[in-house]
Amino acid sequence: MKSIPLDEAAVVIIGSGAGGGTLAYELTKAGIECVVLEAGPYLKNEDYENDEWKAFHQMAWLDPRTTSGSWRIARDFPALPAWIVKAVGGTTTHWSGATPRFKDYEFKARSTYGEVEGASLLDWPITLEEMEPYYDRAEIAMGSTHRHGRPALPANNNYKVFANGAERVGYKLYATGPYATNAEPYDGRPASIQDGFNFQGDKSGAKWSIMVREIPRALETGLLDLRPDSHVVRITHDPSGRADGVIYADKDGQLHRQEAKIVCVAGNSIETARLLLLSDSAMFPKGLANSSDQVGRNYMRHLTGSVYARFDKPVRMYRGETMAGIIADEAQHDPSRGFVGGYYMETISLGPAFLAAFVEPGAWGPDFTRIMEAYANTAGMWIVGEDMPQATNRVTLSQTMRDQWDLPVANVHFDDHANDVAMRNYAYGKAEKLYEAVGATGCHRTPPYPSTHNLGTCRMSERPEDGVVDRWGRAHDVPNLFVSDGSVMTTGAAANPTLTIVALAIRQAEYIAAELKRGNL
Amino acid sequence: MELTKGSASSVAVSTVAEDGYRRIPLGLERGSGSRKMLKRMLRVMFPHKNFGDAPYERAAEAVLALACEKPGRQVAFAAAIQELMNMSFETLDDDAALEHLKGIAQTDFFKQVQGRALLAFYDDPEVWSLLGYEGESFDKGGYIDRGFNDLDWLPDPRIEEYGGEQ
Ligand SMILES: Cc1cc2nc3c(=O)[nH]c(=O)nc-3n(C[C@H](O)[C@H](O)[C@H](O)COP(=O)(O)OP(=O)(O)OC[C@H]3O[C@@H](n4cnc5c(N)ncnc54)[C@H](O)[C@@H]3O)c2cc1C
Repeated sequence: MKSIPLDEAAVVIIGSGAGGGTLAYELTKAGIECVVLEAGPYLKNEDYENDEWKAFHQMAWLDPRTTSGSWRIARDFPALPAWIVKAVGGTTTHWSGATPRFKDYEFKARSTYGEVEGASLLDWPITLEEMEPYYDRAEIAMGSTHRHGRPALPANNNYKVFANGAERVGYKLYATGPYATNAEPYDGRPASIQDGFNFQGDKSGAKWSIMVREIPRALETGLLDLRPDSHVVRITHDPSGRADGVIYADKDGQLHRQEAKIVCVAGNSIETARLLLLSDSAMFPKGLANSSDQVGRNYMRHLTGSVYARFDKPVRMYRGETMAGIIADEAQHDPSRGFVGGYYMETISLGPAFLAAFVEPGAWGPDFTRIMEAYANTAGMWIVGEDMPQATNRVTLSQTMRDQWDLPVANVHFDDHANDVAMRNYAYGKAEKLYEAVGATGCHRTPPYPSTHNLGTCRMSERPEDGVVDRWGRAHDVPNLFVSDGSVMTTGAAANPTLTIVALAIRQAEYIAAELKRGNL
Repeated sequence: MELTKGSASSVAVSTVAEDGYRRIPLGLERGSGSRKMLKRMLRVMFPHKNFGDAPYERAAEAVLALACEKPGRQVAFAAAIQELMNMSFETLDDDAALEHLKGIAQTDFFKQVQGRALLAFYDDPEVWSLLGYEGESFDKGGYIDRGFNDLDWLPDPRIEEYGGEQ
């Protein structure tokens, strides 16, 4: 592996997930050397566990965080606002694989929805048209089914219930994808064996992740210096305000400083915002790149919720791909439903260990036991829709709690917007109708899990006062600082975010390579 | 559906040290009846009629291990269990026992028992198989040839995207 000296001003990428890993591959492919600093360990397919809690404890980000606000998470899981991974490949190692694109109107949320009270809606500074070629490249990289000649995955049991219900209530836009897991061998990786452990890392390699594709390929170029167990704690800058290095702690807490000519932050929205806030200085008293005071604000997590339905016959939802089922009929802007924006319905399955913990946190007694007792006859779906950005939904530095390096942890404050509540309740009702249409004997409305989609804390904006980065993800305040993950999202759209994060990173890599060539960086 | 709620389940980031139950625990030691009491309490919390005692016993052990991690918690647990003994909780029928637990559901003791027991009980391979869950599957080749699509009470649906007019 390439070894870049600490005193060589390098292109430094912080975080090796969907955004950072894609950027590292695209840049090294273009002949540009990179250092990738990843807080977590380098786990491979053979290390992953087919066991929900074991995998969670092996891979998840378990450093402390705190929560506040009226969301239920603050009460049920106060130390776990988000379910994300700390390992090479980031949360793409835990992800399931749904890859819908954002829609045209979703890049223009403010103009399409108008003024929504309490929401800080803004149009993106880029359009779908501009994104389309990058969406194509991202889908090809990730091997999305139903796209570019990739065949559909077969129907598993959970999908059979879901799709038949969809048909009976009159939905048309249902399918087993697009979903970034191979139905047949592709890109050097095998076809799915339907083992049902997507959320636990996928031992087979059929599922796309940064760990199985971008990291090994970037290493093959000979230009990547990948440093796992390297937790960045500060970005430094020179007297002119340009980023010039990053300080990181290795697993023993030993500090190192890597000189940098470009710094790209891709720590997933909570940690990205936290790192910028931790990197304050006399020149940037509110945190690096934060003259707008927008760093950490407009945190979005998607409107989510699940419905688990019981039947009098077996379903065995846990057999097969976790999320290979999508209904897109409700993913449209139709304010007559009582809310702006739209949502998708997607199959989901949990094992008994996770279902017990998450189906209704804190519940016990006969009604709860009935849900668990029906496990084998249960089908599940997840609702994922656009939530409203709000300036007060915000990542800040905790005043009370510190992490293992004695640095303030992130506090995540969140209140549902009235639009989120209206959409969630509407979607719950539709999900129940769907399952009742195929004979459900009972349904349970499960509240949102700790956030798997974390977006918006460093949003893109045309004007520097409205956001943190420009249309390329380049900080308005610091010319050689980039944000390269889901935190740049101006608004969240209804779609699962990862395809868009990857497409944005491919686009950003092209821009960085060109700017380097032009001598602008 | 009305669900009986404690409040926070203690899921999240804390793991229970496996060896937590090693000192001689005051009031919780073997022979003190604390295990039997906890087992009864867990059966009322998670009343799976056809399950044997073993998984409830293992969950009770996990609760005791949690209790013994810290002296303060150990004392509090021992006192709370003593209260249950004093009111002969074990002799209550299911309905009366449920009512009693609802009454103490907001106490720290109850919430910790509920949170820890839930995690242990539903993470128990015997419980998985009683519920019809098959656990680890990769080493068995996944379900590709073992019934990932064996549901036969509904027609096979379309898997391709909709081709018609919207
Ligand atoms: C169970 C689950 C299912 C999901 N399913 C889907 C799905 O079907 N479709 C979809 O689109 N999305 C899905 N997601 C979401 C998806 O995984 C994320 O959107 C995506 O991975 C985010 O990319 P990212 O680059 O922003 O961050 P991540 O992929 O989380 O990567 C961030 C990396 O940065 C590292 N890091 C953070 N801070 C530092 C620091 N200070 N120094 C060094 N390294 C640091 C972290 O350890 C991590 O490895 C799912 C997520 C989960 C948890």
